[in-house]
Amino acid sequence: MRGQRLLVSGMGGELGSLVASLLEAEPWVGSLVGIDVDPPRRRLRKAEFHRIEPSDRERIVDVVTAFDPHVLVHMAVWEPDARASTAHARRFTADATSALLGAAAECPSLQGIVVRSGIEVYGRRRHSLTRPDESAPVDPTSEFGRILAAVERTAAAVGTRIGVPVAALRLAPVLGPHVPSPLGRLLRQPMVPFSVLADPPFAVVRDTDAAHSIVAAARARLDQPVNVVAPGAVTALQAILRGRRVPIPLIGPEWAIARRVSHVLGAPVPEHVMEVLHRGRLADGTAAAELLGVAPAASTPEVIDRLFAWESVVRVTKAANQVQGAVA
Amino acid sequence: MTSMSNVQRAGAQILDLPRRAMSAVAPAVVPAQSVDDWGRDPHLVHLLSPLFTARWAVSVGGVEHLPAHAGALLVTNSRRLSFSPLYVSWALSRATGRAVRFVGRPDLAPIGPALRRLGALLHDPIEVRGALRQGELVLMAAQSATHPRHAGTVDHELIGAAVAEGVQVHPVASMSTPFTRSARAEVGAVVRTRRARRGPLAEIELAEATQRQLQTMLDELGGLHTGMAPIDFLGEG
Repeated sequence: MRGQRLLVSGMGGELGSLVASLLEAEPWVGSLVGIDVDPPRRRLRKAEFHRIEPSDRERIVDVVTAFDPHVLVHMAVWEPDARASTAHARRFTADATSALLGAAAECPSLQGIVVRSGIEVYGRRRHSLTRPDESAPVDPTSEFGRILAAVERTAAAVGTRIGVPVAALRLAPVLGPHVPSPLGRLLRQPMVPFSVLADPPFAVVRDTDAAHSIVAAARARLDQPVNVVAPGAVTALQAILRGRRVPIPLIGPEWAIARRVSHVLGAPVPEHVMEVLHRGRLADGTAAAELLGVAPAASTPEVIDRLFAWESVVRVTKAANQVQGAVA
Repeated sequence: MTSMSNVQRAGAQILDLPRRAMSAVAPAVVPAQSVDDWGRDPHLVHLLSPLFTARWAVSVGGVEHLPAHAGALLVTNSRRLSFSPLYVSWALSRATGRAVRFVGRPDLAPIGPALRRLGALLHDPIEVRGALRQGELVLMAAQSATHPRHAGTVDHELIGAAVAEGVQVHPVASMSTPFTRSARAEVGAVVRTRRARRGPLAEIELAEATQRQLQTMLDELGGLHTGMAPIDFLGEG
């Protein structure tokens, strides 16, 4: 098991670089290569990084086949309105998925694929399950859900074709410092709209918990989807009040105006976040502990509290620089 | 410069007023966290308890039959507009100290979300199975009957969720009247079938056995006694 070669796509993102830093500390990981359009957000000591556009398939294929990984951790998934608009997110994710999974399929040493997915794949259609587990049908009702379902579908098809296990990590909305999340951004606004007629509960997951789950899935060569959800739930109104924000109760048609205003103020509300606010988003994450050997440590209310505890602006002072230098 | 700072400070204080007002008032009405993994809100249930108490004075019996920690499917009789799943689940929650969820949430705002906060689940075997797997007590109603002491047909597909999860099924005989507060919820012993089945007959026979046991319990409960026998039948509901 030692000396495994791991390829991490999406290493430049916050979650990707967090996973890469955890993988660097794993004794079974021999070498680590990352691909993304942006450079990693944290200091990596062992990993080799390639900055490649998702549309540059030829270069991706060259890098991946030359590396010949044992495990592909595919996290090149763009959430709409996190770092790119919905249309760009769809295109970037599709390009990256087809290029990376296609290239990985050509690698003779490949033993496992782990893809980042989300509980958005279950959708929130009327009469859909309150708390779906992994056996619930995939029936996305938002663009992000459809993007993730397509990633899962492509990975499963590649896995079946070349006979390698595929693990799909269905993450609850990921929140953490610096994680670009439209839900987190909306909740941190001074005034936050919520649906007064529904105010449904939802669950989230902390970025470090999500990263630990991805590393565990890569280690275990898991061959099935697994939900990664922090225990507990909060409603939008409760989350707003926990953050001492001003809740704006909305009923229906005024949501269109609220979305536009929020977009102008820098917090666009994409379709899947609207779904959270109107239909909630829960999932049964109890299988993760058994399948992965790790379970989210922070509960949903704790993650929400941390969301509001982050500084809006972190001022870099001389003293802080000295402390950081000493730590490094 | 100083006056500018004062103006800014005053502006900031004015802008902060709604936030401070919400912080002062909101926690009393909406606690920071009160929903569980299934969306039930014990705080709201507690707030609504006086309303439930004003409508129903439920005497509960037989809770010793229920498992202390494991999940179980409870089946109660129902009659149109008697709201038996609502008051039985509320009374059993109080009596056992465990959240008792009930089946029958319409997935339509605002009724659906409101009932979810009271512990309602969708009428879906997969949803019920998920809750039973998590060790929850789930109450379902038999098909609505015209007579208050008749047990209607029990949905074998929901019973199938209990069979699949290997949890106990208990009948709960319920009785209430539209004219008084008096109500009764009696939990029966675990339902057993004569034969162990491997296939779908297991849930069909268990559903029939549950209906029979529920009917026996309702017969034993007797009807309403108003003191004026000829009109007793009017008060049953």
